[in-house]
Amino acid sequence: MLTGSPLLMYLAGLLLGLVAGFFMHRSDYCVAGMFRDAFLFRNIGLLRALLLQIVATMIIFEVARLFGLLPLYPFPLLGSPSLANVVGGLLFGVGMVLAGGCVVGTLYKMGSGSLVSGLAFVGIIVGSGLYAEIHPWWVGFVKATAFMNGKITLAQATGLPQSLLVGLAVLLAGPVFFKWRRERRWLTPAAVAGYVQPWQTALVLAGLGLLSYLLVGMPMGISTTYTKMAAMAENLLAPEHVRQVAYFWLVPLDVVHPVSGALMRGGAGPLIDTIWAIQFPLIVGVVLGSGLSAFLLREFAVHLRVPAGQLVMAFSGGIMVGLASRMAPACNVWHLMGGLPILALQSMLFLVGLAPGAWLGGKLVSWVLLRKSG
Amino acid sequence: MTDQDKQPNFIDVDMRGQVCPATLLVAMDSMNRHREVLLSGAARLRIKTDNRAATNTIPATAQNMGYEAWVRKDKAYYEIIIGL
Repeated sequence: MLTGSPLLMYLAGLLLGLVAGFFMHRSDYCVAGMFRDAFLFRNIGLLRALLLQIVATMIIFEVARLFGLLPLYPFPLLGSPSLANVVGGLLFGVGMVLAGGCVVGTLYKMGSGSLVSGLAFVGIIVGSGLYAEIHPWWVGFVKATAFMNGKITLAQATGLPQSLLVGLAVLLAGPVFFKWRRERRWLTPAAVAGYVQPWQTALVLAGLGLLSYLLVGMPMGISTTYTKMAAMAENLLAPEHVRQVAYFWLVPLDVVHPVSGALMRGGAGPLIDTIWAIQFPLIVGVVLGSGLSAFLLREFAVHLRVPAGQLVMAFSGGIMVGLASRMAPACNVWHLMGGLPILALQSMLFLVGLAPGAWLGGKLVSWVLLRKSG
Repeated sequence: MTDQDKQPNFIDVDMRGQVCPATLLVAMDSMNRHREVLLSGAARLRIKTDNRAATNTIPATAQNMGYEAWVRKDKAYYEIIIGL
């Protein structure tokens, strides 16, 4: 466990991010695209890889838990379910499709030189900052629609053993995976240089998720730090206002790591705390890892001649993603690659909202793009 | 010189730097809009893109629509040629 040393946490996050960004760029492992293309083009090729990542993560998290390697279980920052998870997921789904990438897809695309994703990145920070302003109103909705108080996972809600539920999920997914293997559907034909098959990246990301959990006490997540960046920027321009925004001074992470004894404490405010130490290096790592991949392939390029409509759409989508990742709360990386593998109720509800949101986003994006090209 | 280079007339579409899934949507739109000239063999569609995923999805879609497709790397981007 590295949670006792901030320096090692920074290094761990940076390395995890570098590897994640590199592989995501090589496979164009875009979660927004996976859901969008399933609805818009009836192409579920990449969604298969995401499903593999979720199931593989489920298995290795459970094995690690059984071996006593995950003393913080369920991991911190997860809570009881509410309708806010569905509504947040829905808005997130629309936003990520309009932005052309989720909270991490935006990073790896920006790292390879995408101006559109750079603008979506700014939009996510703006949206994350805007959430702080509406938090007092939104938290009322969260409280009014919360249920199963104190229950975080499906196992806690049903009273069934976690291993049994994971086993059932694997039994359901296993035959489908083997059927896809027989039909050679795991292989994506590729003409690009340095292509890594998405199923390989899925397994790498599952491994990185476990490493993150082992090293810093929780799976990969980055979206709170977008709010911290917004708070830091606001703090430069209007420090008095930042002092008055209650959301910036909440401390949702406040636990002592059972093994290292380190105090893990942090929130969305403009402070360098445990959340910053975990998430910020990951963000930097993904951007640099993707940039390195693009540079090695001689594909790094910034194109400035992008239709204005697309820039507006990506920025607006980014604002939605930023807002939604606080409303949900948390983003698709946290929920799909961390929460869903432990069958967290919040994450399951996030997915319930995310899918129709991506469908709606696909409708909107095709209308905007074809209207512009026509 | 490859076979597709011998084609004298190209309809050029430059999609570099554009948001996903603009490349595929505009490619599909162009294939429909120029269907007659593309199927007659009088011209080919030449799409420039830096979207790595589009080099998989556009040729697959073009083949489903009855065209042939070629992909080649050119400096920091890819060219997808569609025609007969």
